[in-house]
Amino acid sequence: MDDRVNTLGDQPIVLDEPGGRRAKIEMRNLSFFYGKHRALKDVSAEFPENTISAIIGPSGCGKSTLLRTVNGMFELYPGQRAQGEILIDGEEVLSKRYSRARLRRNVGMVFQKPTPFVLSIYENIAFPVRHYERLSRSEMDERVERALTQAALWEEVRDKLKRSALALSGGQQQRLCIARTLAVRPQVLLLDEPTSALDPISTAKIEELLTQLARQLTVLIVTHNLQQAARISQKVIFMLAGEVIEAGDREELFVNPKDSRTSDYVTGRFG
Amino acid sequence: MAINPIIVRRQAVNALVLVAATLSTAFGLFWLAWILWTTASKGAAALKPALFTQMTPPPGSDGGLLNAFAGSFVMIVMAVVIGTPIGVLAGTYLAEFARKTRAGAAIRFVNDILLSAPSIVIGLFVYQLAVRPFRHFSGYAGAIALAMILLPVVVRTSDEALQLVPDPMREAAVALGLPRWKITTKVVYRAASTGILTGVLLALARISGETAPLLFTALNNQYWTNDFSGPVANVPVVIFEYAMSPSDTWHALAWAGALIITLFVVALGILTRIAFRQRHRHG
Repeated sequence: MDDRVNTLGDQPIVLDEPGGRRAKIEMRNLSFFYGKHRALKDVSAEFPENTISAIIGPSGCGKSTLLRTVNGMFELYPGQRAQGEILIDGEEVLSKRYSRARLRRNVGMVFQKPTPFVLSIYENIAFPVRHYERLSRSEMDERVERALTQAALWEEVRDKLKRSALALSGGQQQRLCIARTLAVRPQVLLLDEPTSALDPISTAKIEELLTQLARQLTVLIVTHNLQQAARISQKVIFMLAGEVIEAGDREELFVNPKDSRTSDYVTGRFG
Repeated sequence: MAINPIIVRRQAVNALVLVAATLSTAFGLFWLAWILWTTASKGAAALKPALFTQMTPPPGSDGGLLNAFAGSFVMIVMAVVIGTPIGVLAGTYLAEFARKTRAGAAIRFVNDILLSAPSIVIGLFVYQLAVRPFRHFSGYAGAIALAMILLPVVVRTSDEALQLVPDPMREAAVALGLPRWKITTKVVYRAASTGILTGVLLALARISGETAPLLFTALNNQYWTNDFSGPVANVPVVIFEYAMSPSDTWHALAWAGALIITLFVVALGILTRIAFRQRHRHG
C-alpha cells in the first residue's frame, strides 16, 4: 500500500493544502459498506476551504460513495453504513449529535441528472428556503433572483419564473438545481458528475459558475472528465478500488504524480 | 435463386400467426362494437330532455331518470370522498415506506385480491355491515360499497405512480434538509399527481357502472330523496329493474340510462388519457 495514504490522516493539514488553506472537511479512516461490500477502505482526506476539490478515478472506485457520506445521504438506505470520522469545521458529522437538518443545510448537493421539482422555477428555489427562513415577499424575490444570478440562470428565466421548471432545458435545469442549493446558503457544495449529462456549452457555464462559487464555498466535485478536473479544481484526489491513491495540488497530481497508478490513470492508460 | 426452405417456413408461420392475431383482435373488437352500437342506437332513440327533468315513472307510464342520476352522482361523490384519501395514503405507505418489505408485498397481494373481488361479494359484505344492523337499505351503505370497490384501484395506482417518481428527486429534497413529510407532500405528490389523478378517474369509471353492490345496499327509490339513510335511486339498479320489466317505456329508459353511463365512462377514459399525455409532455 502506498504509504502516502496511511500518513494523510495524521499529517498536519497544511502540507496538502493549496495556498495553505484551512481544511473545511476532514475524513479520518472512513470506511463505507453496502451490506457486506466494503466500498471505501480507511479513506483519509482533507478538503480545503473555498477551494474546488475534484475526486477522480475509474467507475466503481468509490468517488460517489465518498461524496454521499459527507451529507449522510446513504442513511436513507438500509444496509448502507459508514465507519470512521468526517469532520466539518472540526465537528464530527457522522454521529447523530450533529443534526441531519443542520448538516444538510450546511452541505448542499447537486446530482448527475438534473432533479427539478414539479413546481414553478420560482417555487423550486423558494420552497426549500421557506423551510429554513421566514422571508417577506420582497425578501424572497431577492433571494430567488440572487440564487438564479449566482447560478448564471437569471437572464434566461427572469420573465418566466412562474413557469414549470420542467420546461427548461437540461443545462438550465441543472443550473436551477445549483441555484436551489445555493439559496439555502450552504458552506459546502457536493457535485456528483454534474455536467456528465449536459452539452459542452452548459458544461462551460457550470464550470465557470463553480469557479466563481469557490470564492465563498468549499466545493467537492466528482468527475469522470479529467480535463474538467484540470480546468476547475485546485486540489485533486485520485481514488482506486475504494482507496485514496494520491491527493494533492492539481499541477502536482497531473504533471508530476507520485504513484504509478495515478500517472497511468491521468495519462489515459486505464479507467 | 434457390428457394431456402427455412425462409419459406418462417414466412408461412409468420403469415399464419399474423392472420390468427388479426382475427383474434377483430373478434374482440366485433363484440365491443356490437355492444356499443346496440347501446348507442337503442339509447339514442330513447334520449329526450325529460330524462333529466322527470323522476322514474310508476309502471306503465313514461318519465325520466333524474332521481337515479342524482342518487348515483351523490353516492359516487361520497365513495370518491371516502375512498380517495384512504387509497392515496395506503399507496403512500406502500410506495414510500414499504417498498421492498415483506409487509408491503403482503399488503399488495391482499389489495390485488380485493381489486379482483366480485363486486357482489362486496355488496353482501356491506349489506351485513351497514344495512342489516339498521334494518333498511341506505344510500350511505351504497356509498360505502362503492368506496370499497374504488379503494383498491386507488391504492394500486397511487402506489405505482409514487414508485415512478425517480429516487434522485427524493434524494435532492433530502439533500436540501427537508423533512420527510414535506418531501412526500410537496415534492413526491406533485411529481406523481397526474398518475394519482388517473387512478382516481379509472376507479370512478369502474364504480359508476357497478350494480351488484348497490342492489344490496342503496337498492332503489322511485322518488327523489335527500335522505341518504334510506333507499336511494341510482342508474345501474334502475337499468337492471327496468330491463327486466315487460314495459316498453321502461326498456327505453333502461337503454337511455345505459347509453349515458357508457358515455360517462368513455368521457372519463378520454379525460384520463389527456391527463396522462400532459404528464408525458412535462417529461
